[in-house]
Amino acid sequence: MSIDIINVTKHFGSFTALNNVNLTIPTGELVALLGPSGSGKTTLLRIIAGLEKTDQGTILFDGKDTTARDAQERQVGFVFQHYALFRHMNVFENIAFGLKVRPRKLRPSKQEIHDKVHQLLELVKLEGLANRYPSQLSGGQRQRVALARALAVEPRVLLLDEPFGALDAKVRKELRRWLRRLHDELHITSVFVTHDQEEALDVADRIVILNEGRIEQLGSPEEVYERPQTPFVYNFLGNVNLFHGRIHQGKVRIGSIEVDVPQYAHTLDTEAISYVRPHDFEIEREARGNELIPAHILFIRAVGPVVHLELKREDTGELVEAELSKERYRELALKTGETVYVKPKDLKIFIPEDYVI
Amino acid sequence: MAGNVPLQHGTAQAAHSLGTTEPPVVRWVLTGLALLYLVIMLFIPLIYVFFKAFEEGIALYLAAISEPDALAAIWLTLLVVAISVPLNTLFGIAAAWAIAKFDFKGKNLLITLIDLPFAVSPVIAGLIFVLLFGAPGILGPWLEAKDIKIIFAVPGIVLATIFVTLPFVARELIPLMQSQGTAEEEAALTLGANGWKTFWLITLPNIKWGLLYGVILTSARAVGEFGAVSVVSGHIRGLTNTMPLHVEILYNEYQFGASFAVASLMSLMAVITLVIKNLAEWKVQQQVKEAGS
Repeated sequence: MSIDIINVTKHFGSFTALNNVNLTIPTGELVALLGPSGSGKTTLLRIIAGLEKTDQGTILFDGKDTTARDAQERQVGFVFQHYALFRHMNVFENIAFGLKVRPRKLRPSKQEIHDKVHQLLELVKLEGLANRYPSQLSGGQRQRVALARALAVEPRVLLLDEPFGALDAKVRKELRRWLRRLHDELHITSVFVTHDQEEALDVADRIVILNEGRIEQLGSPEEVYERPQTPFVYNFLGNVNLFHGRIHQGKVRIGSIEVDVPQYAHTLDTEAISYVRPHDFEIEREARGNELIPAHILFIRAVGPVVHLELKREDTGELVEAELSKERYRELALKTGETVYVKPKDLKIFIPEDYVI
Repeated sequence: MAGNVPLQHGTAQAAHSLGTTEPPVVRWVLTGLALLYLVIMLFIPLIYVFFKAFEEGIALYLAAISEPDALAAIWLTLLVVAISVPLNTLFGIAAAWAIAKFDFKGKNLLITLIDLPFAVSPVIAGLIFVLLFGAPGILGPWLEAKDIKIIFAVPGIVLATIFVTLPFVARELIPLMQSQGTAEEEAALTLGANGWKTFWLITLPNIKWGLLYGVILTSARAVGEFGAVSVVSGHIRGLTNTMPLHVEILYNEYQFGASFAVASLMSLMAVITLVIKNLAEWKVQQQVKEAGS
């Protein structure tokens, strides 16, 4: 089922949670709503579920206006951040709840409910735990019961609020791979909220990045990571180094170096902010004209295949984070306190008048 | 009423396991002091009530609790409980539901109002109703014209009891429901349950032990309320005397044996209440333990 969110605005008192949001979620996609806390991502999810009312705007399910419908009529599966399992019911009763509360005419028989619940237990790999109570399960197991319970009603859309937020790192990784596989099997339109960019990049077909109630960018994980459209997205997705500089006739001057930026050939003496990812630096031992920034090494972390360096620029005193491969690191034989020369290979420039950070 | 005596098994066990850091002497002295205090302040008076009740023999005891005025007092007390407890239970659930699950203007005012009967002396609570419904009161002449009796009659006693026992259920449920939050209800709604089913299948089972506890406290207070009821009752024997009032009248007439006999009946009710209360708490702990294993 496709979902259209049209001009949706939501206030809580004087706080604007969503500010004129427009978004289309195509059938069968797994979409991540990504943003910091207070960005409106959970509010948007709850509005899709019908747990919050919009102040303005329209929600369409499959092209049909659903704005005025209550949560109970929307046929959504909602997985809550802290699972919200019914604590006085065992796993079986939890999963069967959505089927048992149906009006008599639509209610499946006892046998059908039994079969359906066991089929779901198999799907979420919890066979044999049907008689346990929620408090007897681990976090990951509870999460899967919550998912099975949501899937039992055969929802038209699956909504997940920070589904892995309360789990430890290892379980989280396993579960999100499993969710991805499950989605590939079931092809149910799914939306999940997360503040963890790695999680969004790892699982989603498309990522919606929200900030202060607005959509900053929308795209595939590659698109949003490789081509951030706003300074916020650049900052939010992955580590980044920020440089202040000035653009003049196709050249940007950052401290002691100048870099060609042909797309700004006609810009005259304007302030600019540039972003460089840590892995987009070249590191040399020798100076080469004014292309390289001299910096001394403050700290080296050489655990794993990638070596992290913390450097201090000698021209402006700003700190720079850089990453390089282990081979290159061995080749250069870097040591803490030494002076090296760094060059940004890839540089993204924003002119601050257009964007407010 | 002795509703708050710390007799729960679980708490005692927890205190024991945590108490291992103190030297045994300190533990024994403290426990001994607490027990001594309980014995002097609670057990001796309680036993004395039963002792005095049976002092003049079992025949007199039975006569005292089966004479018409005593029976009328018992009956009236039970009637008051039967009306005020269900009403305050409904009100308590509704108020706790509204306060815990919704945000609205005037919420703090409502919480303060619920606490009002705790803050106001029962005598003043009784006077409020006399001033409202009594002959010199605001509604007095109108009621008299319609020949409706509230003050010095059963409705007044019921009203005064409802006023005094109003906070118990709500006070018990508000923190419980607030701590449980609304996520389970929301989950039920998204699974297609309507509001009524959500309440019966999710909310009520989650609060049932807290609710039982609140109902027990309300009942205990409704049985034992003296001050407010005394003001509105008029002390008409066989008509508007509840058990506590009957005890007082007998005592004032130097019928100590009869007075203590009725008092022992009330004490028995209190003990039974206490046992049910502890059973409820024990049940909750069993559930928690089962769930935790």
